[in-house]
Amino acid sequence: MDKDFINIVKPMLPKVDYCSIRFVNKYNNIINATRNVLEPVVISEDEGVMVTVFHNGGSGYGATSNLTKEGIQQAINSAIDWAEFSKGKLTYFPRLSEMKTQSGNYFTTEDKPWSQVSMKDKADFLMVINRALRSKSNITNWGAGIRHNSIETLFLDTNDSNIHQKISYILPQMIVSAEHKKETQTRTFGGHAHARQIGYDIFDDINMIEKAKQLSEEAAELSKSPNCENKITQAVIAPDQMILQVHESIGHPLELDRILGDERNYAGSSFVTPDMFGNYTYGSKCLNVTFNPTMQSQLASCKFDDDGTNAEKQYLIKDGVLLRPIGGLFSSQRTNLDYVACSRASSWNRPPIDRMGNINLEPGENTFDQIISSVDDGIFLETNNSWSIDDKRNKFQFGCERGTLIKNGKLTNVVKNPNYRGITENFWKNLSKVGDMDTHKILGTSNCGKGEPNQTIFVGHATPTCLFNNVDVFGGV
Amino acid sequence: MKDYFQQISKFLFNQLNSSEILILNFDAEKTDFVRFNKGKIRQAGNVNQINLIINLIFKGKTLRTSIRLSTNFNKDSKPLANILNFLRREIVELPNDPYLMYEKDQNFTNQVMQNNNIDTHLITDTIINKFKLLDMVGVLSSGNIIKGFSNSLGQINWHESESFNFDWSVYSKNGKAIKQNYSDQKWNQNIFDRLFLECTQKLNVIDYQEQKIMPGEYKVYLSPSAMNEIIDMMSWGGFSYKANKIGSSPLHLMSKGKKELNKIVSFSENLTNGISPKFHSDGFIKPEKTNLIVNGKYNNSLVSPRSSLEYSVKHNAAEYYESPVSIELEPGDIKTEEILTSLNDGIYLNNLWYLNFSDRNNGRITGLTRFGCFKVANGEYVGPINTMRFDETVYNILGEKLIGLTDKQQLLMDSSTYEERSTYNSTIPGALVDSFKMTL
Repeated sequence: MDKDFINIVKPMLPKVDYCSIRFVNKYNNIINATRNVLEPVVISEDEGVMVTVFHNGGSGYGATSNLTKEGIQQAINSAIDWAEFSKGKLTYFPRLSEMKTQSGNYFTTEDKPWSQVSMKDKADFLMVINRALRSKSNITNWGAGIRHNSIETLFLDTNDSNIHQKISYILPQMIVSAEHKKETQTRTFGGHAHARQIGYDIFDDINMIEKAKQLSEEAAELSKSPNCENKITQAVIAPDQMILQVHESIGHPLELDRILGDERNYAGSSFVTPDMFGNYTYGSKCLNVTFNPTMQSQLASCKFDDDGTNAEKQYLIKDGVLLRPIGGLFSSQRTNLDYVACSRASSWNRPPIDRMGNINLEPGENTFDQIISSVDDGIFLETNNSWSIDDKRNKFQFGCERGTLIKNGKLTNVVKNPNYRGITENFWKNLSKVGDMDTHKILGTSNCGKGEPNQTIFVGHATPTCLFNNVDVFGGV
Repeated sequence: MKDYFQQISKFLFNQLNSSEILILNFDAEKTDFVRFNKGKIRQAGNVNQINLIINLIFKGKTLRTSIRLSTNFNKDSKPLANILNFLRREIVELPNDPYLMYEKDQNFTNQVMQNNNIDTHLITDTIINKFKLLDMVGVLSSGNIIKGFSNSLGQINWHESESFNFDWSVYSKNGKAIKQNYSDQKWNQNIFDRLFLECTQKLNVIDYQEQKIMPGEYKVYLSPSAMNEIIDMMSWGGFSYKANKIGSSPLHLMSKGKKELNKIVSFSENLTNGISPKFHSDGFIKPEKTNLIVNGKYNNSLVSPRSSLEYSVKHNAAEYYESPVSIELEPGDIKTEEILTSLNDGIYLNNLWYLNFSDRNNGRITGLTRFGCFKVANGEYVGPINTMRFDETVYNILGEKLIGLTDKQQLLMDSSTYEERSTYNSTIPGALVDSFKMTL
């Protein structure tokens, strides 16, 4: 497809200050088995192009699923039409001279490609997991699923850039609920955040059957457990909750388009202001956060973003100090701050905006046992199930599926409905211990929503287990 | 476009053998998106997309896939034929689907709203001129939306509408904002002028000194937009038959008769306004109105055809996710125009934001205040409040703590544009609630 596409499209590039054409093909396959029944299998293929034009002080885009030559020409005409119309009416027109010619490829490594395993084998595997999930008598709901996505992108522009990337990821999911005295408690496999760029060999790394039995036992145990009590305490937070904490209270507030006000009508702005970069103390000295598109198998790894910027690892926060925002080349021009390759679009039918890629909390030196044994009275929190934060990404409240009390340096009783709330500006300053590589997990979520028009995109987060002081923890009704 | 849909339907149906059934769902939109920041254009362009979902049914098995179309039959026909062959090859590997159900009777519907030739450039210029001195941010989406259904048993349904949705906020110098929305099928300058006037009047008030609210319990007015956020959370399984059976519904205690709301609360799924299509993706025709909660008591759920087979109950053509697409909350008797007097001393909550559950089993919800929230004293605005987090149960908000509902409802069009423009909507009054709990 790429050579045909290039041969057809390249001569069509219009004579304007700048034009790019981004072709995207998305393949999606979802297989779910719920309560021992295979649900209708979903296979979808989505392809189209977006043409972006910057010309004479105006900009516009045209996007179409009509990939005939006539369809692409109509998209080019539409982009030119909007660029002419918007001349002199734009919030900002980029410095096009700073855009570089980029060429290169990126492909996810799949030791066992998705297509090599038959649909029947995948369905049979899910049915075996279903049986393992229903291993306790009070289980009322159970299910398992596998989602496979591949996203192929070709990017050409009038600077002679030529980029070809194909990202493939798999998201394994499990859910199991147990009921006791009209109250239901649910355990999931990591809050549906185990998405990675990998082939079907992901199941060589994860023993889904054993994990299913464990989740079933934990759901049954939770349904009979007392509510989490209300107290200010120390909280040890597992990676499958930490990723949400990083996502909502570091990732989103550092997005430069929020800081610049683009998102104020929808996803919100940020408590972070441009003058804070380079000097603001975001957290304790053990807080180190990177934008890292280079981590093998992580969900948003790539070589280029959707505006054609070369992707490199950069520190966002180092030793607790805020260094740079999550802003692409164009956003950085609006503030003269450093940029990262984070200009991403959910598909061919949406324009690129500042998005998280892989936003990672770098590991420290504490083992899990060292962290737990350092706590006299606290709680270990696992697996996100509720998230809410204000439009400036400051006042948050998050809920977890499972809490385990810590007494005198040891994990003790399980509690249900553990929630905690806090304020971002204070919370990270209470980060007191960061786990080592053995506690570190590479996770990712496929459904981060933002933008007008709205876009859902996949983002990666790798993080160790962490200990926080002075956390306001509370339970259910 | 309908002719093209019929052409490809006929092309595919002609290739079927006697034991195969094919169901087609057609989705198309041609939309101009204009994104604004600081009263100017941030990004603008056009999206033209057509999607076809093809569902093959063969001897009790089902498999579906989707494809983008160009509307050029010479280009589309080959991939369509290839897809049909792919489905045939793969479907034999699958087990029988015990919950497979599709419409076998033929129900024809054709809803085509008048085309008003909305001029997005003209509207955009109007907006820019109006807000040139203000810090406005938002998005204008405009164009047509088409949804079609056909099956090889002979049924065809069509829904076509043209509309615009302008969703925006205006920020004052102190960082407070007023949020508004104007959506319709035809631009009316008088309505827009009136909304702009309301906006500038509220901006004067929102620039008053911020009123610091501390955690505690407050008498509040929840505007229709704020109520819509609460009802959205209730709809996360609350009206789903399946979710109530498996215990994941926030209203499962109500559905089991263990809890009730205030007697003035009645909810229905009401499709009579014609904004959402009346046909189900498997061809069933939806009832015009389904009473969900009547006088505070759980009355009926949304039941999908799959749930009807799993639980041996009658379905009401709800989609698989079993949540409302056009929900209505009946009005009450508090005079809308006198809401400040009725509130007297309390907080006027115009918008809520980022809601989620604190305790789903007990219908307990948390979230934050956002645009246009004011402290009110002696029936008058005092000033904007700081952002506050609330934490309350549905059973309090619409039950024990509910003082009343306003006598006027507001039609709220969903401005969501994930993947495609939404046709969801809700018709909701405002609510006066006592002792509403703020926590942070």
